[in-house]
Amino acid sequence: MVVAFGFGSGSLICSIIAYVDIHLRVLNMAKQPKSPASNKNYFLEKVLEQLKFTNKKLDSLVDLNQKILEKQTMQHTVAAKDVPVQETGMRILPNSLSLLSLPTSLRKTVMVLYKLESATAEDLAKETGRLRAVESSAANQLVRMGYLRKRREGRDVYFFIDTYLERKE
Amino acid sequence: MTGKTIAIHSYRGGTGKSIIAANLAIILARKGLSIALLDLDFRAPSLAAIFSKDDKDLVEWWLNDFLNRRCTAEQVVMDESGKYNLEGRLLLGLANPSIDAIRSMADKSSSWEVTAVKKIFSLLSSLFKEMNIDCCILDTSPGVQYSSVNAVVSSDISVVITTLDSLDLKGTKSMLFDLYDQLERKSVVLINKYCPETRISKCESPESLVLRIEKTLKHSVIGAIPCFCDVLQQERADIMAVKDPGHQFVRNLEEVADNLRRMEKVC
Repeated sequence: MVVAFGFGSGSLICSIIAYVDIHLRVLNMAKQPKSPASNKNYFLEKVLEQLKFTNKKLDSLVDLNQKILEKQTMQHTVAAKDVPVQETGMRILPNSLSLLSLPTSLRKTVMVLYKLESATAEDLAKETGRLRAVESSAANQLVRMGYLRKRREGRDVYFFIDTYLERKE
Repeated sequence: MTGKTIAIHSYRGGTGKSIIAANLAIILARKGLSIALLDLDFRAPSLAAIFSKDDKDLVEWWLNDFLNRRCTAEQVVMDESGKYNLEGRLLLGLANPSIDAIRSMADKSSSWEVTAVKKIFSLLSSLFKEMNIDCCILDTSPGVQYSSVNAVVSSDISVVITTLDSLDLKGTKSMLFDLYDQLERKSVVLINKYCPETRISKCESPESLVLRIEKTLKHSVIGAIPCFCDVLQQERADIMAVKDPGHQFVRNLEEVADNLRRMEKVC
C-alpha cells in the first residue's frame, strides 16, 4: 500500500494513514480467525479510505491557498511605467498611528519607506541594519497585506508606499 | 555629519512645549549652530505668535501649504537669523494659526497623513542637505494624534515635557511605554514648571526630584525647570533667551541644550 505525504496540516493525516496501514498489514500477517478480525479489518480499511480522502482535500486546499497568495503578490507587482496603477481593492495606507498595530519587524520597514521614496531589500537592510533576506521577507509580507507595493526595474525589485489613493481623495 | 531632529512633545497641553522649543532654538543658534524650528502643532499653532508672525501678511507660505503641495521646502522656511543677533542661523517654518486652516487640517483623512509624514521627511532632507541645517526642532501637538506621531516618527530624539501633575505623569508614563517604546524611538523627559517651594517638595533637591521621576517613568530625565512666574506672565512675543539671556529659566535650558548636544552629537 502506498501512502502519499502531503505538507502543512496534511502531514498529521499522513502519519495517521501510515499508522493505520501498518496496523492492517500486521493484522493480515497474523492470519487471525476471520469473523472478528475481518470486521476490524473492514473498519480500519474504511478509516484509511476516509483519511486518504481528507488528505487529498487538504492538499488541494494548500495548493489553492498558494495560488491565491501568488495572485495577490502579482496584483501588487506593477511595472515602473504603470505607476499609479488601478486599484486592487486591497490597499491600506500605513499612517503613523497604524504603525502601532504592526509587528515590530514590519514596522521598521515601513518607517524606512517614509524616508525613502522607494527601496530595494538591500537599501532597506542598509537603513535598518538587518539582513537583506529579512527585509525582503518583511517587505513582501507588507505587499501581501496591502500596505506596500512593488515594481521591477531590470533585475531589482523596488518597494514603495503608493499614495495614489490619497491623491485621488 | 547629518543633522539631527529633535521633537518637543508632551502628553497634555500647556506644559510649555512651544516656549521651550522657541528658546532652545535661539540658545542653540546663539552657540553658532544652524537651526530650523518647525511648528507641527496644526491644531493649536503658537510659534507664529511667539515670533510675532501671526499677521497673515507677514508669512507668504505656511507649513500647511507645504504639506498640501502648494509650495517648496525653500519657500516654506523663513530666515530669521538677522533679527536675533545670532552666531548661527535660525530658519522658521510656521503653522497657519487661522481658524480656517486649523479646521481644514482637522478634517484631513488618515491616508493624507501618510503623505504628510513623507513630506516632513522630504522637508528635513532638504533642510539638512541643501540648506545645511545642523539641527531641526519640531514643536508638536500634545498627546497621541497624527501630527504629533508624525513628528515623533521623523525625529531622532524626542524631549517629552511633563509637569509634576499626577495626571500628566501618569499619561506621560503610558505614552512613553505605548508609543515611544513600541516605535523604538529615543526619548528623554524634561520636567517643567515644578514648584520648589511647595510643602511637599520642600526637602527635595532638583537632583533627587530627577531621580524620583526617572524611577517613576523608567526613562532618563534630561533636566528640571522650576516654575517662573515672570516667564509665564511674559508677552508671548518676548522670547526669554532674547529678552533676558541671564534669566535662570534660560540658564536651565542652556544645560538641557548642552545635554542634548552631547547625547545627539549635534556639532
